[in-house]
Amino acid sequence: MRAFQAELSKLFSLPGIWLAVLIGAVAPAVIAALDAIAEKEAIIAGVSTRLPEMGYSGLGLGVQGVIILGVLAVSSEYVAESSETGGGQQMTTSLTAVSSRLHFLLAKAGAVTVISILLSMVAILTTVSATHLILGEYTPAFEGSRLAGAVCYWTFTALLAFGMTLLTRNGIIPLAVLIINSSVVSFSVLLHKVTKLAFYLPDRAGFEMFMFTSGSAHTPGTGSLFESYLTPLTGGLVMFAWVAVLLMLAAIVFRRRDVAA
Amino acid sequence: MLTINSLVKRRGSQQILSGISFEARPGRVTGFLGPNGAGKSSTLRILLGLDRATSGSALIQGKPYAELHHPLATVGAALDGSGAHPMRTGRAHLRWIARAAGLPRSRVEEVLELTGLSDAAGKRVRNYSLGMGKRLGMAAALLGDPDILILDEPVNGLDPEGIRWIRTFLRKRAESGHTVLLSSHLMGELAETVDDVVIIKQGTIVAAGTLQEVIGRHSSLEEAFFALTMEKAGDGV
Repeated sequence: MRAFQAELSKLFSLPGIWLAVLIGAVAPAVIAALDAIAEKEAIIAGVSTRLPEMGYSGLGLGVQGVIILGVLAVSSEYVAESSETGGGQQMTTSLTAVSSRLHFLLAKAGAVTVISILLSMVAILTTVSATHLILGEYTPAFEGSRLAGAVCYWTFTALLAFGMTLLTRNGIIPLAVLIINSSVVSFSVLLHKVTKLAFYLPDRAGFEMFMFTSGSAHTPGTGSLFESYLTPLTGGLVMFAWVAVLLMLAAIVFRRRDVAA
Repeated sequence: MLTINSLVKRRGSQQILSGISFEARPGRVTGFLGPNGAGKSSTLRILLGLDRATSGSALIQGKPYAELHHPLATVGAALDGSGAHPMRTGRAHLRWIARAAGLPRSRVEEVLELTGLSDAAGKRVRNYSLGMGKRLGMAAALLGDPDILILDEPVNGLDPEGIRWIRTFLRKRAESGHTVLLSSHLMGELAETVDDVVIIKQGTIVAAGTLQEVIGRHSSLEEAFFALTMEKAGDGV
């Protein structure tokens, strides 16, 4: 518990985390608002097929905040001090303060999980408000179960970023890969044209938790990327499995590794 | 009490430590001397559980570091630099450590005062000089008021006042029954601070004993150091 509090204290005294919080609170609302503006006419005319997605698209594409959170929580430990000040790194201090590496990792992952859950709730608040602001009376009702799915999606995404950075010990690669994948071009979008297995990639499987309405789950058939392929629960379990395997692998590597190596 | 027993460390094909053994006893300052790359930092990192030994043991009060119940109240360590994230303030750095160790916040202000960092505590660590970074590392090591201090090159980068402060501080620490192990390559500074000396060269201990025993018939610790380390280097050629 003390180690967990120390991890929260570490994160909140890092300026980069406040950037992550800001992006997490604002980005999904902006994306949702733009999406709503683009669809507004079709929705009013009653011809939009994307009405059920309104708002959720922002929550699906605006995960950069938690990606930065998960990456920074780990990469900040490995930032080298300048050679003028002796070239140390915080990891030495962290592992002398908490001598069990497993406790250290659990505390850190716990802190990332808690902050991700809170941040995703803030994001839901801003996103729902932004959607209401644009669509007014045409706003679709937001279902609690889908919003809970979005909270899981954000938290799992943060933990994937956390695990990847633990393996690379440097934030640049995971940050670049995950941010590009979430916002510019999704790897699973490209791959789904080749194989159905793309639907089991963590981001696509995670989308099943909240991006699609429950009715479409029973009629998968067309294989379109914009239709449900797995049930929300299966999608969530698939993404969770990715998180669990990655974190276990990262923990094994981390426990064996010399800090100096 | 620190006990290093037949410690071996290999990294790939490189032999870093070839079975070294020594002790650092309570009530004494033990100086761990050697040229750069001799294996001093590796030994200290293994002692602190940061690196794994290939074989042998490095024990603190008879236990490996990972088994200590209150590590910061047992051992205070300062290795390279400050050990802090450059974007954090000195105070924020000490506060999270205090939280991890279950120490009150007032203790943070005490060690800041003790190390002369009170005025700089609100500045980000990246703006610290080498000497200030060293002081912050010392402050972190002293947070838990530990029985044992392990310091890697503690006087490196300190101004004359800082060096004098460290020397007096470590002497007092040892006189009150604490164990102090410090590594250095600065002979002059060390000769005036230490009681016992361990000299390491290419991963092997070449001399160990009290300061007088190690100096022996040489005129100073520096003379003894070069005689001991050069001799060995000469053999290899």
